[in-house]
Order: sequence, then structure tokens, then C-alpha cells
Amino acid sequence: MNTLTRTITIEEAPIAIATLDNNLCFINCSNPWQQEFISPDNEIIGKSFFDVVPSTPRLFRSVLENSFSIDDNIVEEQKHIMPDGSNKWYQWSIKPWKEIDGTIGGLIITCTNITKIKRAKDLLIAAENVAKMGGWDLDMITNTIHWSRITKEIHEVPLDYVPCLETGINFYKEGEHREKIIELIQKAITKGEEWDTELQIVTAKGKELWVRAKGMPEFVNGKCVRLYGIFQDIDKKKKAEIKNAQIKERLDLATEVANIGIWEYNLHKDELEWNDEMFPLFGVKRKDFKGNFESWKATVHPDDLERCLQEFDMAVSGIKDFKTQFRIVHPDGTIKHIKANAGIFKDDEGKIIKMVGTNWDITEVVNTQLKLNKSEESFKGSFKSSAVGMALVAKDGSWMDVNDNLCLSLGYSRKELLQLSFQDITHPEDLEKDLSQLQMLLDGKVNSYQLEKRYFHKKGTIVYVVLTVTAVKDIEGNISHFISQVVDITAKIEAQKKSEEFLELTKSQNNSLLNFAHIVSHNLRSHSSNLSMLSNYLTEEQGVSEKREIEAMIVNASESLNETVAHLNEVVQISTEAEGQLQAVCLNEIVKNVEKNISALLQQKKVECQISIDQSIKVKGIHAYLDSVLLNLFTNSVKYSSPNRIPKISIQAIKSGKFIILNFRDNGLGINLERHGKKLFGMYKTFHQHEDSKGIGLFITKNQIEAMNGKIEVESIVDKGTLFKITLVAA
Amino acid sequence: MGKIESSCIIDDDPIAIYGIKKSMKEIDFCDTIVVYKNGQDAIDGLNNMVAEGIALPSIILLDLNMPIMDGWEFLDDFIKIPNNNTKAVTIYIISSSIDPRDVIKAQDYSLVSNYILKPIKSDDLLKLLSDGSNN
Repeated sequence: MNTLTRTITIEEAPIAIATLDNNLCFINCSNPWQQEFISPDNEIIGKSFFDVVPSTPRLFRSVLENSFSIDDNIVEEQKHIMPDGSNKWYQWSIKPWKEIDGTIGGLIITCTNITKIKRAKDLLIAAENVAKMGGWDLDMITNTIHWSRITKEIHEVPLDYVPCLETGINFYKEGEHREKIIELIQKAITKGEEWDTELQIVTAKGKELWVRAKGMPEFVNGKCVRLYGIFQDIDKKKKAEIKNAQIKERLDLATEVANIGIWEYNLHKDELEWNDEMFPLFGVKRKDFKGNFESWKATVHPDDLERCLQEFDMAVSGIKDFKTQFRIVHPDGTIKHIKANAGIFKDDEGKIIKMVGTNWDITEVVNTQLKLNKSEESFKGSFKSSAVGMALVAKDGSWMDVNDNLCLSLGYSRKELLQLSFQDITHPEDLEKDLSQLQMLLDGKVNSYQLEKRYFHKKGTIVYVVLTVTAVKDIEGNISHFISQVVDITAKIEAQKKSEEFLELTKSQNNSLLNFAHIVSHNLRSHSSNLSMLSNYLTEEQGVSEKREIEAMIVNASESLNETVAHLNEVVQISTEAEGQLQAVCLNEIVKNVEKNISALLQQKKVECQISIDQSIKVKGIHAYLDSVLLNLFTNSVKYSSPNRIPKISIQAIKSGKFIILNFRDNGLGINLERHGKKLFGMYKTFHQHEDSKGIGLFITKNQIEAMNGKIEVESIVDKGTLFKITLVAA
Repeated sequence: MGKIESSCIIDDDPIAIYGIKKSMKEIDFCDTIVVYKNGQDAIDGLNNMVAEGIALPSIILLDLNMPIMDGWEFLDDFIKIPNNNTKAVTIYIISSSIDPRDVIKAQDYSLVSNYILKPIKSDDLLKLLSDGSNN
């Protein structure tokens, strides 16, 4: 035992150490060994290694057996399962010892319980895996780098990859990322600064990744000997962060452009935060902003403050969302209208901890609305009190609103009118032209139109108007309804019609006067020329019989002259007497009376008479004229009856508006109207070879009817009959 | 041209006819005088003459106001007479109407040579004869 020069026994060694013989039985062991494997009172010497060290794996047995031939055998980690089932990890160092003669006498074994270290290491690896965090280590002396598995995985290199400092740096993305890491490493080496940064690398497979790189230098004697640190894949997080930042930037930009202020109020701490837009919105300088509830309260218009505070309280107590509108007063006194929306945030217990809201300036909108309201009011005012009729008309023509003046013109109450459409009360003859103009308006071809048209008054009378229709468009430019202006021109039109009627009457009177003058001159001249001629002959003629003949002719001519003058006188009387003598006359009575007066003649000629006139029909006329007219028509029909058939006369009267039409029909000879129509009612016109034809009857008849403001027309077919149609004014 | 062969008077007034005939005799106006009492009689009579091949009167004196068919209607029908020598006939309107509308209307008829106001005197007839010879 010369190797042990001093008698220090193995038992005293501070580490777990034991010596075994060739049979792997204990020769001796240190106290730590004994403490590690067996209770102190148990004897260990002489026992087999495998009896002492429990659960020695089969593999370890062969390691021990091989150790006799190996000079220095180290087992870094060996797992042993204890009898109670727990695991223990040991590091073994095994070396053979020799007898004096040089033969191997057994093994010296040291043992370190590395269970705790092993567990910590496992934990670290697990953590590395979970956090995708790898480690690295750079030995500055040997210039070798060690990468942990995760680090290699992050770089997407095979597990047997061997990096060096340069290749390691080259994984960083070229440009700012690579420059940054070089700078950081240099600072660490020269100044001892640590780093912790986020950079992009390009993996072996070409993928760009965000990593967190943390590095620490180790200095010995003022010289950096080692760099080590961690390496973490933060790509997902970083990308999410970048995306968030982009979204925030966009939101900031949007709120800035839209002038939307965002605020956040912490109720517990009474902390109010404003974004940049809030300050110009409220006209508050950032340096004057105290950042509490009071700073907001101070801006609100005094008249709106109480309401706003109530609404705020309601929002906080969850009764109603904070969605409101209020006025604020800028320090310079200008008043702005603010629209505000806010949401509330609750903690886990459901308590409201903060409110986040938006504010924006709606001053312009409010002012525009005010102006609109004012113009609407003034429109309503002028609509109501307008001197012309006005209406708001829906696209289907129904009245949406009408003013008093229109009601007055049309005779309906407002309520009645609103249940009608303009089509309902428009004169049918004017409807088409109104609708076609309206269509043009609907089609956008015109913006408004104007026309003269007729409505029906509630009483049924015609209302003449000038209508102007204008389209009203909504914000999108579509027609929403129409504004109709209705100027009642009934009075004007009636006056115009009256004056036209008067003009027509004057014209026709002038015409008939002129005609009459010519008739007079012609008829009188023919007699006077005869008389002058005959009297000339009388003075020149010598023969007695000749003279007598001429004298007889003079008597004839003067009688004719008398007769003509009498006729003309009659006509003059008709025209001058009639005025002011018109009275209501029962037509049926007149006709019946005349029929009775000439009953002898009718019976003699066997005329069949059919009279059907309602007793109630009355005309404005002169009794004597109507007698004369009917007598003339009766005698004409009898005089010009056809010898080939039984004469028939039928007389009917019908009411047409304010007129009565008397139809006097016979089945007599008829008149060739194509030939004689124009002069039928002329003086001294005859159309039949008849001795009694004088050509005065119809002339007088026409004058009498016209004197009663009536007219006479004729329809006739030769050898079929004649219809005289007499229009008289109803009484 | 002096005296003509035949003339025609269309008038419903017997006194006027008497006067014209008397004046015609005075100046020996023509050999024969045909008288019709209205336009319809005249058209019928003239149509008959054409049908029988008798020459139409070379001068027609036409009144305007007549029953059944007046002077205007006669003019409208006269040009319709078939196979006639109406172009050789000269028509004069004789009327007591001084209505300018009648005078103007007469000028519209190319058939009408002149418009003579009644009463017709022998001087008027002489003028007709001389007009006729100028033509």
C-alpha cells in the first residue's frame, strides 16, 4: 500500500467513493457513499455492488465488467429506479486499481447524485421546447459555438450541424438585422454590454423569422472569454404585433382624418385619457389638460351639462348606453356640437372599471339641420297662407297636403281633398295632357311644367286654373314628390268667355244687319226700278190699251212694294222687339196649341202627328214667336208633304245642358241641301214648284228664333223627309 | 254685228221681262226671244234645244234672285250642258242688287261678260250689240 503514503482512509473522503474487488464486492466506501445508498448501521463491506446499489440496469453491469480493461470509464448519466419506484440519476466514474504486482485488484468507483441537476436540465429542455427558446454558447478562446437543439431547429439546420461565429451571424437577415447583431456582439465583447433584441433571421430553408436574441458576455481578467445567451422564435407574436401596430396606425389615421376623438376614462382612478384628436376638438391645450373627469366637465355647455351628467350616470349604472349629443364651449367662446358614443368595460366581478368612447364634431350637420328646419318652416308658412292654391302631390297623384286657397278654389274641405287624387277631379279632356307632362317630369326630361287645365268644383262647375308642377328630389336625386301651384283663373276665363260670347253676338248681329241692309236695298230696288221703268213707259206710250196694261203693272208693282215693306217691317220688329220680352214658356203647351189651331188643315190632309214633350220643359222665349215658328213649320210640312205617302209629323224635345232641343221631323218631299242649304233661310228663296211658295216663312222663322237667342238647323233627304232642329235656351 | 238671231231672258219678275222685251223691240235687238222664269226652267229648255239640234241663243240675260234655281246655280249648271256651243253664248247678269259681293262674284265667272243693273234700258242693249261686234 505504498501508494497511500499517509493513512487517510477512504471512509473520510468528502465524496461518494468506494473500492470493489474483482468480484465487484465492496472492500470499503466513504461515508457519503454509505449515506447515499444505505443506512449507516448496515454493513456494506463484503457485499456485492449490485446488492448495495439498487436497480442497477443490465447495461450498467456490463459497463462495470468492461471497466477492468479501461483506464478511466465515465458514465455521465445513469438512471436508477429505486425500490420505492422513484428515479435517481447518477454520474459514475470508474477506474481499475492494481495490486503491487501490477495485477488488477478491483475497481475504484466515485458516484455523484445528479438527480436534481438532471431534473433541472430536463425542465430547461422542456421549457425550451415549449417556449421555442434555444440556448447558445460561444467560447471566445477556441472560437467554437454550441447551439442547443431548439436553436438548431429555429435555424432549420440538422441536429449535427456545427456552427461557427461567422456562419451564425450570417443567418441574420442581410441589412439592418445583420448590422445590428454585429454591433451588439462587438459592444458585448469590447464593453461588456448585454443585449436583448428582436431581429429577423433567414433560416437554412430560406424562411424569414423573427427571433428574440439575448446575449451576455463573460469576462476573465478584462477579456471576454465567452458569450452565451438564448434564442427564441417569436415570429408569430412579432407578426401579430406588427399587424396590430399597422391596424392601430390605420385606426389612428382614420380617427385623425375623420376628426374622431377617442377617450378612455378609468372610473376608479378618475383618469381620463384623450387621443390627439380630442384636443383640437375640444379646443383644449395638452398642457392645460388635467386628465380627469373635471377636465371634460369644464368643456360642456352649461345648458347641456346637467343632462350629460345624468346620461353619464345612467350609462355607468347600466340603464342606458351613453349615446348622446351635447354642446361644448371652446376657451375662445365658440360653441361646437359634439356627438358622443361610449362603451363600458367591466372587471371579472362585473363592476364597471372604465368607459371608452368617441367624440366627433357635428356642428355643421346641426347648423345645416337648423337652416333646413327654418326653410321648411318658412315654406310651410308660405304654403299655408299663399294667395295661390298649393299642394304637395305624391308620385301616384294623391294629395299629400293642400293649402286653404286650393280648398277654397275647388270647394272641398282639406279632409275631403286629401282622400282624392288630382286625377279624380281633373276634367277628363285635360287629364291626358296633364299626365303626359307629368310623365316627362317623372322621366327627368323636364324639371317643371305649366299648363292651363280644368278641375271640377265640388259642385260640379268647372274651375279653370294655371297649374305649375315642380319635382322635389331627395338626397339621391330621385323624385320624392311634387309641388303644385294652382292659380285659379276661373273668373278671368268666365269674363273672357262672356266677352267672346258678346263679341260673337255683336258680330252676328252686325252680319245680320248688313245682310238685312242688302236684302232691303235689293228688294226695294227691284220694285223701284220696275216702277221707274213703267212710269217712263207710261209717259212715252201713246196707245190706250198699252197704257192700260202699263197702269195695271204699276199697280201690281206698288202692291209688291207694299208687301215687301211690310215683310221687312216685320223682320225689323222681330229684331228690335225681342229684347227684354223673353219669359219662361211651356213648350208642350205651345206645340199642342198650334196643333189644335190648324187641326182642320191637318185633318183635311190626313196628317199623323206625334208630339212627345215633357210638360216640365220650359224655354226662354216669346209666346207669339214660338206660335209663329211652329205654325210655319207645321204648314211647311203640310205644304211640302209627299203625295205618295201619309204625311207624318213627329215632335220631340230633349234637354241638353242649359239648352232645349226641339226636333221637328216630317216625311215630306225633303230639300236638296247640297244645293239650297246656304239660302234655305234666306228672304224670298223658294225651292219648290209651288204656287204658295213665297220664300219668306223660314226667313222670318230664323229671325224669330235668333231673337230668342236660339238657332235653327236642318237635316233633310230628298223624298224622305226633313228634320228641323231648333235649339232654345232652357228657362 | 247688228241685230242678232235669238236671245234669252231668265227672270222671275214679269214686269222686268215686259220692260226688257219692250226695249228689245224698240231697237230691233233680235228675231226671237226665249223667256224662262227661273234657272231650272232655263237649263231644261236649253238642254232641249241642244238635244233637238237648235242653236243656243247668242245672248242670255240672267237675273240672280229667282226661286228654285237662282242665277248662280244656273251658271254652274250651264257649263255642264253636253255637246253645246256654249262658247258662242254671251251671258249678261241683270240684277237690281247693288251688293258689291254680287258684283265681285260675277267677275269670278268667265262665262259672264258684264253685270248690268236693272232697269234695263234700250241704250244698255245697244251697247251689248256693239260689244258683240267688237268681239
